[in-house]
Amino acid sequence: MAAAEARGAPRRRRVGRTVLIAAALLFLGLFLLMPLLVVFIQALSRGVGTYLAAIFDPMAWAAVKLTLEVAAIAVPLNLLFGVAAAWAIAKFDFRGKSALVTLIDLPFAVSPVIAGLIFILLFGAHGWFGGVLRAHHIRVVFAVPGIVLATLFVTFPFIARELIPVMQAQGRDDEETALSLGASGWQTFWRVTLPNIRWGLMYGVLLCNARAMGEFGAVSVVSGHVRGLTNTMPLHVEILYNEYNYTAAFAVASLLALLALLTLAGKSFLEWRQPELRHAALAARDRTRRENT
Amino acid sequence: MSIALRGISKQFGEFAAVKDIDLDVPTGALIALLGPSGCGKTTLLRIIAGLEMPDQGRVLFDGRDATSWPIRDRKVGFVFQHYALFRHMSVFENVAFGLKVKPRRERPDGAQLRRKVDSLLELVQLGWAGDRYPAQLSGGQRQRIALARALAVDPDVLLLDEPFGALDSQVRHELRRWLRRLHDELHFTSIFVTHDQQEAIELADTIMVLNRGRIEQCGIPGDVYDLPTSAFVHRFLGQVNELPVRRRDGRAYVGPIEISPVADSIAGDADDIALIRPHEIEIGPESEGWPAIVTAVRVIGPIVRVELCAEGQPTNEPLEAEISRERYEGERFSVGQKVGLRLRRWQVYPASRTAA
Repeated sequence: MAAAEARGAPRRRRVGRTVLIAAALLFLGLFLLMPLLVVFIQALSRGVGTYLAAIFDPMAWAAVKLTLEVAAIAVPLNLLFGVAAAWAIAKFDFRGKSALVTLIDLPFAVSPVIAGLIFILLFGAHGWFGGVLRAHHIRVVFAVPGIVLATLFVTFPFIARELIPVMQAQGRDDEETALSLGASGWQTFWRVTLPNIRWGLMYGVLLCNARAMGEFGAVSVVSGHVRGLTNTMPLHVEILYNEYNYTAAFAVASLLALLALLTLAGKSFLEWRQPELRHAALAARDRTRRENT
Repeated sequence: MSIALRGISKQFGEFAAVKDIDLDVPTGALIALLGPSGCGKTTLLRIIAGLEMPDQGRVLFDGRDATSWPIRDRKVGFVFQHYALFRHMSVFENVAFGLKVKPRRERPDGAQLRRKVDSLLELVQLGWAGDRYPAQLSGGQRQRIALARALAVDPDVLLLDEPFGALDSQVRHELRRWLRRLHDELHFTSIFVTHDQQEAIELADTIMVLNRGRIEQCGIPGDVYDLPTSAFVHRFLGQVNELPVRRRDGRAYVGPIEISPVADSIAGDADDIALIRPHEIEIGPESEGWPAIVTAVRVIGPIVRVELCAEGQPTNEPLEAEISRERYEGERFSVGQKVGLRLRRWQVYPASRTAA
């Protein structure tokens, strides 16, 4: 009896494994692969000509341009902030450090719609700074600055979150060594810290960029949906869809989907690249050891 | 360069890492800061390097107050236990780092820099490794590169934080001898931190034993080993047997052996304790001394360690004695044999202070 059970156990484990894998694949297919396919099939359903026309429509093109502009402002700013915050948190001890870590996570916890509303309350016509801004003829809400602010807020944690564990794992020895060798703080950062974190940094930038381009909720609240002026790609998709212009909506959506696929590819490349470096180094070391003995 | 510490204290939150430390390191000395983990030795080293600010006290370099000097102005070479080599740079670039970050007018030109780095790599016997990356080298090789890198900027002081702690014992032994030679050739002032008493004794001119953030004893290795001033130091440097001291009619005994006179300064009660090193126990014929039975014999190269159960002693705490191999070859003690013990040296400490 016991022996039969023991023989049965590996087979049961195999069955269990197959079921789990099948369930995961089914789920992936149903919720990720099929929607992705639908996007492209719908976009191309009336032929390539219609697809291209939808993409090169001036309004669509304006949305693409605005999206790229916003990402081009938000990502570098968050890059600066993320590196500075991660550097401070990982390499120094100071009062309020855990409070700062919590604050960095705040945009993850807050709904994007709330994030957008915060900016309306601050910079809107009846907001705290509304009067001052109107007096100086500065438009924030329902204009590009508002969209940039909302995107900045939402993508705030991505790079810092990616870098903090990397920097913490590396410790302070390298930096302290550089300082003891006479390097300035700036030289230490450029020559020692930055090369050590470059892969993690690229990874963070990639994720931050994907989110910056894809953000809907917060941007939707502050944008005002002015066609050709304050519409980003996700907002434009929604407008087209609401106008029953499905082909055009899916055509623009397919661009966003392509961006997602590119991000995924870049992410896999970085993940493949990092262990690759490590493996190469290990193999080389083993070789030297053999030569030495 | 000579280094002096005056009344150095440092707290981390509630924890007092070092308390009121005074220390003088003359130019060209090689000093070991020795102690168990958490005794404050690394904190002290980091304070000297400028990596940590003391809460109180002053650091003097050649008599000048260097307490607030930033690390890059102190001209100290710092070597970490885990090497801290820059992994994205080749060995050559690692060693050249300190030269390349100098202000432009002090920076050596290309040929000078190459000559200097090559000579340093030769000095650490790794002239062939310039193009390799740290990950391609063994631990001992990496630590030598870390040393070459520290020496590249001609430091006046070399500070080493458990420099051989991550290496296996064979490599460690070689590197110790090599570092000693290097120190004697180059005449810089060196301070190294270790928890390994043998390393401290082998390498240092002066040993400073730290315990709970305070200096227990400071002296040349022979003195610290032979004339410990506290039970802590006695225990920390080498093996000891601990035996209770009994008093009868104004005389002191360990087992049946009289050890009077014991200095008056030690409180004359039953709680005193005698510390005896294994080589200070003499094993003789059964008829003489303190009767005991041999419970184990282990030959360790040139010495033989004999475990003994002495009469009146709890059996789960055997005494350890060490005799020379020659002596053992002549007498051949075997397990179960009855012998008599005599004590050649001992030190008595009050038990209350030994609790530390």
